[in-house]
Amino acid sequence: MVKSIAQKEFLSALRDARFLALSVIVLLLLLAATVVGLHSYYTLQHEREMAQEEVNHHFANSADRHPHRMAHYGSFAFRPKSSLSFLDFGLDSFTGTSLFLEAHKQNSSNFSQAQQSSSLIRFGEMTVAFILQMLIPLLIIFLCYGAFTQEKETGTLQLMLSQGVSLRQISWAKVAGYSQIVALVVAPALFLVSLLLFSQSGFNLNADLLLRLLLFIGAYLVYFFIFIVLSVVVSALNKRSSTALISLLGIWILSCIILPKAAANLGANLYTTPTKAQLDADVHDEVAQSINGHNSADERAAAFKKQLLVKYGVGSLEQLPVNADGLVMAASEAQSSQVYQKHFNRLTGIFQKQNRIAEYLGLLNPYLAVRHFSMSMAGSDFAHYVHYQKVAEKYRYNLAQTLNHIQATQVKYQDKTTRLSNATWKQIPPFRYSSPGVGWALKNQINSIIALLFWLFLVVVTGFKLIDKTKIV
Amino acid sequence: MNKFRTIIKYEWLNFRADKGLLLITLLTLITGLYGIYYGTTEISRQRQHLANLSKITAHDVENMKVQFPGEADAGDVGYYHSTFAVNHPDSWASLSLGQRDINPYYIKLRLLNLQSQLYDSDNINPLKVFTGNFDLAFVLIYLFPLFIIGLSFNVFSIEKEQGTLPLLLSQPINLSLIVAAKLSFRAFIVLGLAVLLSLTGMFWAQVVPDSRIVLWLGAIVLYCLFWFAVIFLVAALQKSSAFNAITLLGIWLLLTMVIPALLNVYVALKKPVPQALALTIKQREVVHGGWDKPKEETMNKFFSLYPQWRDTTQIKERFVWRWYYAFQHLGDVAVADLAKDYQNRLKERQQLVENLNVLSVPVNVQGMLNALTGTDLLAHLAFMQSATRYHDALREFYYPFLFNQVAFTHNDYAKEPQHSFTSTPQISLVWSGYYKLALSFLFTFIVGLFIFKIRFLNLK
Amino acid sequence: MEFVLEAKHLRKEYQDKLALKGLDLQIKPGEIFCLLGQNGAGKSTTINLFLGFIQPTSGAAFINGLEVTRNITKVKEFLAYIPENVMLYPNLTGLENLALFSSLAGYDYQEAEITDYLVRAGLPADAVKRRVSGYSKGMRQKVGIAIAVAKHAKVLLLDEPTSGLDPKASNEFSELLLQLSAQGTAIFMATHDIFRAKEVGTRVGIMREGELVDVLGTTDLNANELEKLYLNYMH
Repeated sequence: MVKSIAQKEFLSALRDARFLALSVIVLLLLLAATVVGLHSYYTLQHEREMAQEEVNHHFANSADRHPHRMAHYGSFAFRPKSSLSFLDFGLDSFTGTSLFLEAHKQNSSNFSQAQQSSSLIRFGEMTVAFILQMLIPLLIIFLCYGAFTQEKETGTLQLMLSQGVSLRQISWAKVAGYSQIVALVVAPALFLVSLLLFSQSGFNLNADLLLRLLLFIGAYLVYFFIFIVLSVVVSALNKRSSTALISLLGIWILSCIILPKAAANLGANLYTTPTKAQLDADVHDEVAQSINGHNSADERAAAFKKQLLVKYGVGSLEQLPVNADGLVMAASEAQSSQVYQKHFNRLTGIFQKQNRIAEYLGLLNPYLAVRHFSMSMAGSDFAHYVHYQKVAEKYRYNLAQTLNHIQATQVKYQDKTTRLSNATWKQIPPFRYSSPGVGWALKNQINSIIALLFWLFLVVVTGFKLIDKTKIV
Repeated sequence: MNKFRTIIKYEWLNFRADKGLLLITLLTLITGLYGIYYGTTEISRQRQHLANLSKITAHDVENMKVQFPGEADAGDVGYYHSTFAVNHPDSWASLSLGQRDINPYYIKLRLLNLQSQLYDSDNINPLKVFTGNFDLAFVLIYLFPLFIIGLSFNVFSIEKEQGTLPLLLSQPINLSLIVAAKLSFRAFIVLGLAVLLSLTGMFWAQVVPDSRIVLWLGAIVLYCLFWFAVIFLVAALQKSSAFNAITLLGIWLLLTMVIPALLNVYVALKKPVPQALALTIKQREVVHGGWDKPKEETMNKFFSLYPQWRDTTQIKERFVWRWYYAFQHLGDVAVADLAKDYQNRLKERQQLVENLNVLSVPVNVQGMLNALTGTDLLAHLAFMQSATRYHDALREFYYPFLFNQVAFTHNDYAKEPQHSFTSTPQISLVWSGYYKLALSFLFTFIVGLFIFKIRFLNLK
Repeated sequence: MEFVLEAKHLRKEYQDKLALKGLDLQIKPGEIFCLLGQNGAGKSTTINLFLGFIQPTSGAAFINGLEVTRNITKVKEFLAYIPENVMLYPNLTGLENLALFSSLAGYDYQEAEITDYLVRAGLPADAVKRRVSGYSKGMRQKVGIAIAVAKHAKVLLLDEPTSGLDPKASNEFSELLLQLSAQGTAIFMATHDIFRAKEVGTRVGIMREGELVDVLGTTDLNANELEKLYLNYMH
């Protein structure tokens, strides 16, 4: 019996020309977004890889330089795109792509896509995620708003119930029928996505990537299911199709347009972001309390040097087996980067607090939960961005310290003119970045997972309870 | 005309009695007020941050005076001391924040080469800028169409669906008059609310009252009328309320999201910006290459640009600041073409959007409002140019100290040039936006009228 | 002018069906013409043609001597219409609904007058200021009658007006029609109810498959004879 109702919903949707037309449009958009996403992924990835290769090449073939000059010459970290980011650009267009790494100084990550665009980019980007998050729910609403109201309006609901079917059975049957239809719309696109993704890696199944893709798809399926049940429930609670439709569209507008924006803005109002200028000034003031590698008159540097003399049991800095300049630099770098780390962590802490409001609102709004989860699986969320910044900072620190070590061991005290050949620089490994594993990403997603499961539970248990109480006449 | 007023009167009674309509009107009002509140807090926070910069500079000068208790070498001052180029918001900025949250509104400058400093970004929470601003412009451009749709999607279909149409049509009254009166009533409410919110926003933000008041209100009114023309067009098809709701929301989605997103892709494909990374890489190569070049060569190149310093002392030392700053500047000169290309490319992008935004009225109006409030990309590019001139002024200020080898005293800090720039509106862009907006409105309205004429000949 | 309601070779074709096959009809002031016929016989089509809701394929309908299609707004000053199921604005009260429609017809009544019309049409006085969304079908029908009466029309077009009314209300309605007719209003009523037609009608027309097959004067025959005749035509 249940099967035949599901079958009826499935067939009547397929025979509805308007629904078919909409589905085809959504499917075409989905395919277009896949192609567009992939193209932009390749373009940006290529641009950044070329840039990274170029600076690596420059570094390895650099002119003969004093190690500390090399430390100021520094290097760049261009952020590579993660493999799945073509599905969900996430924050990628709004985060900097190029980070200059030099001694003593932590630079900002510059040249985000958004900075190079007119306000057009603020209208949103054509990605697979955009369609899955915003358009498919609309399609679902369109498909399901009449689930019960139409039966009520035509009087077929009473007829059906008089045949001995329960309301609950009808609801499940309808949900099953609609789920099949939604699957039919998204399956071709998701298949294409998987195919493109794996052909890219020559069908070498990368377990991490596969898992990310599966979780990505899984979260959306749960999301769609929530919307299907929600629509059926709202339809059951309404007498007329038009009021059911308007209620559902209202829910969509509130959860996909108004709430997300209000959440992000509320966060920024509650926790003020310090400016980079202020942060730099704070770091500067705090660093001024510690050793300054470039200021020979510095008291703390003098004390450090005295300790060195005691440690090595020699009378003057010239007699040291190592170059004191390099050691002072290293100590200074260690202290200043520790201070910077502290302030950087404070800043990301503030950002995380701001973002947490949107995460918690996921409990009110499954859109926020799935958006957050999707970006994370695609490797384009805030956590991945911070991860890149931290890896880049770690590389910067190691690079500076390696060069300080070279200065300490291969250059004499007070020697500012000796230049080392690029054979030395070639030994320093270039910057490489790979996204953290899926396990790491999932650890940041506990809130979204709970929110999605909560919604699943809510619609299935509470929703169906409400349907039981629906007025038939 | 009397009957027109009668319908308006009863539409009002109907509106007053409909809890759903009252609720969405109230909701729109609240979101509008929140938009104004958000915009003004955001801008006042920017203002406060900008005011703080002078404190940071003053603090920095204090530190410098401690670090260099007596007379200092201007080279040291130029190296350690920093100052800011600031982009003050226009008094209108809080109504439409545009790109002000993405592009930095100040640039920290030292005497070093400009191109390594000009593009530094501020601390930005990417999730926040990704989600976008909830300013008054957002409410008017995104949410007002939804409000209009909510009020009017069933403007005509409901008469059929609730069965009042036959009785209504058996009265001696023209059908077009009914539709016109019903739409006018809704337009009256929507425009009233839009104008009220706009004026509240202007008052709240304490804008400079100039001709832009009229330009803003005109754009908003015309934009709302465009949406009423869309409503009219869809109503003229005489479909069910459900069909209208879906169709109108579809059009909204198309105009505010799908088309802009596609345009964005097109712009990115058509006008890529490879200059950014090229510029940043080349600038570093040239500047650091400066250390390894013979000083003679560097100085001669520099003197050809600044012949007034040619007669200053010849450099024999291993390191001297004026040589250092000379090659810093030559670094800028070497990438000047790329930097110009970069800025031009951004302008071309903006231009391309200007040409294409006729395809999406919301994009056009957003552009108009951003141009009006001086918060668009062009305003930022103008600021970057101003910052560049400021950097020139700083160099001009320090060069005499460096080349004439004059000591920098504590009194000289106060003589350092200061920078202030306030974004300016781009009124010409607003006018071209008007032209396109009027065209979109007329086009939609005439198509609607055409369909209305055809469909309403055969009622029932 | 003698006839306030007139049809000349009035014909309406749809793509798949001939709804009205050239109707000729004339109705004088004060006359009550009842049109009998099964569902789909063309009764509603005839009324809709007089109302100008649909266009005739050929021929013409006249109200008060004016051709309907050419004077689509003007003719409505002379006619009033009560549909089978009177639907009103649910958020407005009965009083407000009547005020609205009267005002559109060009009559701006005082509140007391409106209440009077409603009560005279049989609406309970305490319901006048309640929202229509709480009205029963019969109550809405009464508001519809009040709207028609308050318009002082020369022609009254009725489409199954008594369906859904209880017998008492139906009787009151018949009384009202006779009153209006006495004041000179021409009434054209489509109905299934043979007995009511016989009771109030001056003439009774029988329509079958878009054709007016017979017109009878009600004084000539009693209800039983009329029923027999009617059933005869239907088979």
